[in-house]
Amino acid sequence: MDLLTVRDLRKSFGQFQAVKGVSFTVKKGESFGLLGPNGAGKSTTINMITGLFPPTSGEILLSDVNVVKTPKQAQKWIGVVPQEIALYQDMSARENLKFWGRLYELGGKTLHNKVDEVLEIIGLSDRAKDKITTFSGGMKRRVNIGAAILHNPELLIMDEPTVGIDPQSRNHILETVKRLNEEGMTIIYTSHYMEEVEYLCERIGIIDHGEVIAEGTLKELRQKIEDRSRMNLTLEHTEGNIKRITPVLMRLFSEKDFQIQDNQLTVFHKQPQMILSELVQAVTETGTRITSVDIVEPNLESVFLHLTGRNLRD
Amino acid sequence: MGFWWLAWKDLLLIIRDRKAFITLILMPLLLIAILGAAFGNMMKDEDVTIKKFTLGVVNQDNGVLSKVLTEEVLAKNMSDQIKIKFFQERELQNNIRDHKLDIGIIIKPDFTSALFSGKETKVKLLSVPDPGIKPVIVQSVIEQFAQMIPVQAISVSQQGKARQQNDFLKTENLFKESTVSKKTKPVGSFQYYAAAMGVMFLLMTVVQGVTMMIREKEETVYQRLFLTNLTYSHYLIGKMLGLIILCLIQAFIIIIGTSLIFGVNWGPSVLGIITMTIAFVINACGLGMMAGALIKTEKGFNVGGMLGTQIMAALGGSMVPLYIFPDWVVSATKFIPNGLALQSYLKLMSGATFTDILPAVAGSIALGSCFFAIGLIFLTFERRGKYA
Ligand SMILES: Nc1ncnc2c1ncn2[C@@H]1O[C@H](COP(=O)(O)OP(=O)(O)O)[C@@H](O)[C@H]1O
Ligand SMILES: [Mg+2]
Repeated sequence: MDLLTVRDLRKSFGQFQAVKGVSFTVKKGESFGLLGPNGAGKSTTINMITGLFPPTSGEILLSDVNVVKTPKQAQKWIGVVPQEIALYQDMSARENLKFWGRLYELGGKTLHNKVDEVLEIIGLSDRAKDKITTFSGGMKRRVNIGAAILHNPELLIMDEPTVGIDPQSRNHILETVKRLNEEGMTIIYTSHYMEEVEYLCERIGIIDHGEVIAEGTLKELRQKIEDRSRMNLTLEHTEGNIKRITPVLMRLFSEKDFQIQDNQLTVFHKQPQMILSELVQAVTETGTRITSVDIVEPNLESVFLHLTGRNLRD
Repeated sequence: MGFWWLAWKDLLLIIRDRKAFITLILMPLLLIAILGAAFGNMMKDEDVTIKKFTLGVVNQDNGVLSKVLTEEVLAKNMSDQIKIKFFQERELQNNIRDHKLDIGIIIKPDFTSALFSGKETKVKLLSVPDPGIKPVIVQSVIEQFAQMIPVQAISVSQQGKARQQNDFLKTENLFKESTVSKKTKPVGSFQYYAAAMGVMFLLMTVVQGVTMMIREKEETVYQRLFLTNLTYSHYLIGKMLGLIILCLIQAFIIIIGTSLIFGVNWGPSVLGIITMTIAFVINACGLGMMAGALIKTEKGFNVGGMLGTQIMAALGGSMVPLYIFPDWVVSATKFIPNGLALQSYLKLMSGATFTDILPAVAGSIALGSCFFAIGLIFLTFERRGKYA
């Protein structure tokens, strides 16, 4: 059953089109990832789905609730973890959770128990009385998530919830999200870290320049690059190198299988071990020195690179 | 009931913010104490009075009442404070303009007849821009005098046209000497300043509340608020509620504080004071909500809002007494919350009853509601306009 349907979503800020016709569906109980570099339009898309602002055009349905027309109705079922920490810094973790819970019309014993439960989930029971200001970035992020799950949302939407935190907190968050999903919560997770999306999400949409350029399971997406690995060669940068290397590479590979950007040469191939020595030799013969070679197993980064010619985190 | 928790959260944050808390609760008491010390002597002690000053008088009235006012009340009863000098109108204006004289009054030709027939009349007060408390004294004396007139309606200075309609029916007593003495000044200078300052402090609290509101708007929590069940109207109601509670706490601290510690008489009508305070707070907070909804950034507010507040405070009589403005300005200041409030407090102090200030109460609440509605409309539209 489709819990969320997004159809031809568009958003312009003045002349600038931030989102240009995004469509996807998320099934109940699924975890859906939205992967894309900074400025791709992830937050803009998310903000329209959560009803923060209406789209310029397009349709958003949560079950049978029209989010564009009746956002308040939909928001009851949605938990949102904003990209920025959205908490009151001078209130304690418990006070924050209580406050946000109350805005979702929880109260009394239900609220009290729920706050305890959430504090347990985010692993901050022992710091519940401390003000948010005294927390580390990772702890703040955890409270930020806690505030979104108090009302048992059907759909949990997280916008880059791990940006700028220590690895330990990041792991904690990823595990928490995974568990919530396993317990039945539907999740939309945006990130520009492919590892997170690979780890968490059953289905992934890759978004760039306001468009979903590929969508599918991890397996399906890997097939876009025909399960090819990627060889990254760092070249010594001397004038005219590229001009000399390109014809040599053309002999070995088809044009869409390699890219040269600055002093980075990227080549896609099914069996990198087989071709590597030949490649190194060919490049060296043009008089170009290779300073490093790196072989990467097929992953989403490669898919993105293959589709856009750019790295995810440029 | 999200709005209630929003209000609660705001109050909690204010109380946590030590600086804000001090400005809101301790500062007024402190300043009142300082002023109390400055005015204290004057209030209790007759020895230390204000330096004697000269009052220029233009008497265009041939009737008996103006004669009594100038020659008996002002010249004789007040002789240790006021020296009377008579002028022609032009002469008086020149003298004041050239700072040869600080203050003067012009009694209009219809003074006596108007008072006897119960109509309104005006005594115009002229002064240099910085006359100290002289006008307050002169005004008090004249107002008190007017109250002695059987069926009277007079307006002086402060309100320009505000009326006093306490029917004083002891016809045989045209005026009682004792009531014009210094001990029972109708609205004493310290009273005026207590009311004016109280009003100004409340205005500043509203400014503080609006600053917090706008600051919150620039933070991400603001957007998160609207991802919950909270609607725009509940948001604005919650904001206003928090601020109203805060202002009321402050207002009653000021009123009770000044009356207990410094013996400021806020008038006989406790109900009137309470109602007027609530009405004023609603009015000012409504205006605050409008500002908070319209202004987008704290920077913008610091520029426009602060200036606006200063102007409001000045026009409302909190910085300089109102009479230095032309009449139409004085009438217009009733449309700003603090102007209306101060004028009503002064009325209450000079003996007005609850029913006398009902129009002001109703006006305040109506005005406040209008401000609030405008703010709400703007807020709702902004969401569409800003992003669509
Ligand atoms: N309120 C706005 N006004 C104008 N441009 C905006 C606004 N919000 C986002 N943008 C632009 O839209 C694009 C997508 O932004 P965003 O959705 O935040 O990207 P992401 O979350 O994927 O990093 C960016 O180029 C950004 O500058
Ligand atoms: Mg973003």
